[in-house]
Amino acid sequence: MNTDQRPEDKTQEEVLRLYKEVSQTKEYLEGIIENSEDAIITSDLNGVITSWNKGAEKMYGFTSEEAIGRFLPFIPISLIDDEKESIERIKNGEVLKDIETIRQKSDGTIIDVSLTRSPIRDAAGKVVGISCISRDISEKKRVEIELIRRNQELSRLFFISSAMRGTLELNRLLRMVLTAVTMSDGLGFNRAILFLVDEDNNVLKGAMGVGPASPDEAGQIWEKLSVEKKTLFDIMRDIESGPLRKDSFFDRLSLGMEIPLSEETILTKTVKEKKPFNIQNVKEDPLSDAILTQQLGTRAYAVAPLISRDKVIGVIWVDNHFIDRRIGEEDMRFLSAFSNHVATAIESARLFEQVTLTEQELENIFESISDMVFFNTKDYVVKKINRAVSERLGNKPEEIVGKKCHEVFHGMNEPKPECPHHKTVMTRRAFVEELEEPFLGGTFISSSSPIFNSSGEFIGTVHVARDITEIKKLQEKLVLSERMAALGEVAAKVAHDIRNPLVSVGGFARRLEKKLDGNLKEYASIIVNETSRLESILSEILGFVRVGTLEKEKVNINGIVDDIVSLVKSELDERSITFVKEFAIPHEVFLDPNSIKDALFNILTNAVQAIGTNGTIFVKTYIREDAAVIEMKDTGKGISKEVLPFIFDPFFTTKGSGTGLGLTITHKIIERHNGRIEVESEVNRGSIFKVFLPLKRRSEE
Amino acid sequence: MKILVVDDDEHILRLYKDELSDEGYEVVLAANGQEALDLFYKENPDLVTLDIRLPDIDGIQLLRQMKEKRPRLPIIMSTAYDYRDDFSIWASEAYIVKSSDLNELKSMIRKLLSKE
Repeated sequence: MNTDQRPEDKTQEEVLRLYKEVSQTKEYLEGIIENSEDAIITSDLNGVITSWNKGAEKMYGFTSEEAIGRFLPFIPISLIDDEKESIERIKNGEVLKDIETIRQKSDGTIIDVSLTRSPIRDAAGKVVGISCISRDISEKKRVEIELIRRNQELSRLFFISSAMRGTLELNRLLRMVLTAVTMSDGLGFNRAILFLVDEDNNVLKGAMGVGPASPDEAGQIWEKLSVEKKTLFDIMRDIESGPLRKDSFFDRLSLGMEIPLSEETILTKTVKEKKPFNIQNVKEDPLSDAILTQQLGTRAYAVAPLISRDKVIGVIWVDNHFIDRRIGEEDMRFLSAFSNHVATAIESARLFEQVTLTEQELENIFESISDMVFFNTKDYVVKKINRAVSERLGNKPEEIVGKKCHEVFHGMNEPKPECPHHKTVMTRRAFVEELEEPFLGGTFISSSSPIFNSSGEFIGTVHVARDITEIKKLQEKLVLSERMAALGEVAAKVAHDIRNPLVSVGGFARRLEKKLDGNLKEYASIIVNETSRLESILSEILGFVRVGTLEKEKVNINGIVDDIVSLVKSELDERSITFVKEFAIPHEVFLDPNSIKDALFNILTNAVQAIGTNGTIFVKTYIREDAAVIEMKDTGKGISKEVLPFIFDPFFTTKGSGTGLGLTITHKIIERHNGRIEVESEVNRGSIFKVFLPLKRRSEE
Repeated sequence: MKILVVDDDEHILRLYKDELSDEGYEVVLAANGQEALDLFYKENPDLVTLDIRLPDIDGIQLLRQMKEKRPRLPIIMSTAYDYRDDFSIWASEAYIVKSSDLNELKSMIRKLLSKE
């Protein structure tokens, strides 16, 4: 090479160097373009491709041979007009930067791209072509969409769980949960069942099910929803405040399901392992519950545990039975997230329900205790009472609550000194007293225990009072009868052994008394008097009461009839006997109610037996002349003329059972009341018994 | 009028016999249940006074048997002890606690026999 250079040579050298440099830059650039991951394309002003790099080939699927010379081959037909507009803008010198749009690959698939398009100018600055750098952003787009979806999911979850947190009624909540699971803008499953763990019985129990029973029903429901255009929000609100509708066949089916936790199935595994399962094909899964496949006909399903405070309280089961859509990873993620959200709400509602139930139970127990139970404040004001109190006092609760206890229970203006409440107020200690309360006309065992509030301050007492008036009376009777029984056998022997000789001694002394005179007569009469005295002492000791002694009082005869009818009421019903009564205005008769009841009861029993089954008994009361009449008529088999005169005879019976004394006793009782009985009867038609009881008191007896 | 008196105390039987005879009744006496039944059939009495406590057959049993045969026969239960709890007592016409004063018994008998 010549070193001695001329100036022109120098210029040429420079040009060469520059050319070399430019060539290098060009090659470098071409290399970049060629190897770029981005598609770099140039076209003329009509959109005909003039260059096409490897990136373009890879992105769009066309080779450079296929692309060059064609009008932009990757524009979807729908976007051609837009494209022409863009070309016009670039011709005018505009640069379109980072335009996100879609393009079509050679195989027809659509991809998301980001484009930067600039005009190509010649040396004079005139626009001669268009460059376009495009980047495949499908992946980015996908992530973005995913992000949005996640956001929506989260906001939906947030909405659902906040809607649910406001609902403490378990059934409503469960329905909200399942509706959220099955609504299309909820989790979008076809069917859902909520199982709850029943710890007492160690089973998983179906608590509720939501879903159509058949494809037809599914179609109807979906159509209805699309017509009503109700959002999940609307429906949640409906469930929260509307009437709670018992669902469908499917719901009932779900309620009947019970899976022992001792079994090894998918559902029980969900509880034990605390994780969700997605069963794509029940046939390939030996652990699928038979109950699900057989009763629900499910082919694929998913389950997720409901975990509250580290404990599985239930399981949500879902499937897509009617649209047969595969349950995907996304669905599972959402289902699990949802389950976690609602579990706590369900647990709270469950606890709340338990508390409510317990409260109701306590209230019921409180109300139905037959003893009087009431709370008094330390200021002697009645705060709360049970039914027994208002029944015993004969006042409505609102007439008692709020009043002073000593007014209500003792009829006093000041606390009664011996009242246990008063004592508790004074001492803060519990007291039990047996009190006779003339104001209430009875004897009570009354206990009073202090109540303290949470800060330990005495606020009042709880009071339990039992009316022992009857018990007291019975106790007295019992004591008496026990004494009598103890005396009984001895007394009988003593009476027999002493009374008999006394009778002879006294009896013969009387005979002597009549026959003798003077001193002897006097002696005899002393014996008579002394034996009489002994006899009466004997009678007194043994408490003799003459048989058939009547204890008469003024009694309303209608009431007596009602009393005896109520004794046979159930038998009348059993035998299909109609009872018809026709009472005169109430009339009081002086009689012994117990023996008259016996007397009428015997007639009524006879009537019932004469009828057997199916018939009518008519009872009438009226006044005839100077007597009250009780008339009993039956439609029974009647009494024949031959038998009629004997029916009051003792031991006379046609029934083949009974003592044969019933009507005899009746007759005697009525006779002792100075009344009479008339009987009319016709065979196969029935009998009429008329009991006449005199209205005037007679002085005898 | 014939009265059958049934009692296991011989002195009482004697007293009754004397007292009732004085009233003009024919009196037959039985000291136990079996005797009473025999006389009931043989003598065909118009009235019976029955002691309840007897050595063989209970007075209530006798009452029953007699009433089954002759429902309208007036029977007075006469006893040293109170039997009011026994239902069958109702089959008798009257019930009296034995007393050395026989006036009540006598007036009862008069009343029952005059009804016949």
